[in-house]
Amino acid sequence: MLQVSHLMVFFENALALNDFSMEVGRGELRGVIGSNSAGKTTLMHALSGLLIDIRIKEQRRGGERITLMGKIHYEGEEITHLPPHERVQRGIVLCRERHPIFPESDVLENLKIAGYLRAREETRRSMEFVFDLFPVLKSFRRKRAGFLSGGEQQMLAIGMAIVAAPRLLLLDEPLLGLSPAMQRHLVDAVQQIRSERGTTILIAEQFARPILPLLDYAYVIENGMMTLSGAGPELMENPEVRAAYFGV
Amino acid sequence: MFLGTLVYGIVNSVILALVALGFNLTFGISGIANFAYGALYVLTGYGVWILLNEVGLPLFLAAPAMVVLTAMAGALLYRVVLIRLRGMAISEVIATFGVGLAVLEFFRYLGFIGFEYTLPPLLDGSLSIGPVFLDLQRALIVIVGVTLTGVLWLFTHHTRLGLAFRGIAQDEHTAMCLGIHSDRVAMFSLAFGGGLCALAAVVILPIGTISVDAGYDVLLEALAVCIVGGLGSAVGVIVASFILGLAQTYTAMYMGSHWMMIVTLVAILLILTIRPSGLFGKQKELEERI
Ligand SMILES: Nc1ncnc2c1ncn2[C@@H]1O[C@H](COP(=O)(O)OP(=O)(O)OP(=O)(O)O)[C@@H](O)[C@H]1O
Ligand SMILES: [Mg+2]
Repeated sequence: MLQVSHLMVFFENALALNDFSMEVGRGELRGVIGSNSAGKTTLMHALSGLLIDIRIKEQRRGGERITLMGKIHYEGEEITHLPPHERVQRGIVLCRERHPIFPESDVLENLKIAGYLRAREETRRSMEFVFDLFPVLKSFRRKRAGFLSGGEQQMLAIGMAIVAAPRLLLLDEPLLGLSPAMQRHLVDAVQQIRSERGTTILIAEQFARPILPLLDYAYVIENGMMTLSGAGPELMENPEVRAAYFGV
Repeated sequence: MFLGTLVYGIVNSVILALVALGFNLTFGISGIANFAYGALYVLTGYGVWILLNEVGLPLFLAAPAMVVLTAMAGALLYRVVLIRLRGMAISEVIATFGVGLAVLEFFRYLGFIGFEYTLPPLLDGSLSIGPVFLDLQRALIVIVGVTLTGVLWLFTHHTRLGLAFRGIAQDEHTAMCLGIHSDRVAMFSLAFGGGLCALAAVVILPIGTISVDAGYDVLLEALAVCIVGGLGSAVGVIVASFILGLAQTYTAMYMGSHWMMIVTLVAILLILTIRPSGLFGKQKELEERI
């Protein structure tokens, strides 16, 4: 479904992604594991097209020079240089890191804005699914999103991504800053999204422990380079991974 | 006497709100302060005048035509100029002010000066509120102002495009990740701002004359309302319009009309020293924009 080949991203002369190749098959749950500033967000931005927009805006104002090399294919089509809205139309939806929501709008309005490209009826059905997945959101329907807790905001952010009807859902650090219980709740939700909606999912995380065992396949990334890859449970056993990401 | 001043103060407040609404909408959505705003206002005025007197169109066609054309002018301003300056506030201000200056001074150059440049009222006659007489055109201004505010609220909260406006206004990247086309929405925000400006011109200009200088005054008034209310805040526009509108009218009544402008300038200075972000400005923890 998604093939990334030899992707390189430079911010000016700094290399944020170095010859990175990976793929995700239809219906799979895959992950990219890496510590701070490993290049996870850069990869997610390249996949969602946000990087293209950021590059254009930097160019217009004569700011930072961003260079993108390599290729991204999605469903047999090259999308490396497509703007974000066209990728969303094709079913690639990114849920950015640090629970991106619209703080001044209430929960319901956040979800409605997320349905921008979808038919009203479809949005309504997706919202029902989201409320089943995260019942707290339903009870806070009329609450301003900016006043929700971090965990609630993360649920809302994922809910919004679902309403946008992804076929490939990209999650950038969905577990960041959440309690272990909340992390488990979200991991369950991710599995449910996959099983009930058949959504293909790619997760970027630095907290490997809760999510790694469930990944069909995972890539370990360090300084923009892939250092290891393998099935999730297999990587769990890898001593290097255990040392670097589980502190054992 | 007091009641009369109150009625005219309210009319003046609604005029200020109408004038500021479009400027505020554009800023709230795209962060662009459109300093060509006054020029769009005057463009509408002369445009309607030309369509009426040179082309011979009836008013009910000329007015809507100019509202549409002015909205298109706003969109064009984005497509041609602003798209390359996005995010650089100073350049945006200089560019829009430059375009506005060129348009306004071009009208002066063409000789559009004098008292014959007036628009006919959309409504003739007057009504009385107790002892106070109010012409129907001013009554219409109040009705249009109130209706437009309501329609705008419904539009931004209940239509697809309106919700996209609210999304982009709050977090551009998140909105883009949901498939909202940022440049297109910004273009629409200038078009809607221009259209609102033109609507204001069509209902307000009949109670005065069209002049190049009105362009500068309108820009100043829109700016004053937005600065006092807090740039981008819809509630701020309404509250600030009433504070300024009533203050202006009472000052004109009791101290003479040449003091009116002073009220505006003092208000701007006061708010900038006490609360630089305006009464309902961004520094509040959460606020309702557009
Ligand atoms: N806009 C930018 N300009 C310059 N450098 C950047 C920019 N964005 C990212 N970088 C650099 O690219 C590298 C990778 O950053 P990235 O945000 O992708 O890391 P990350 O894996 O998401 O980290 P974290 O876990 O902290 O979110 C970092 O060294 C970062 O400083
Ligand atoms: Mg990151």
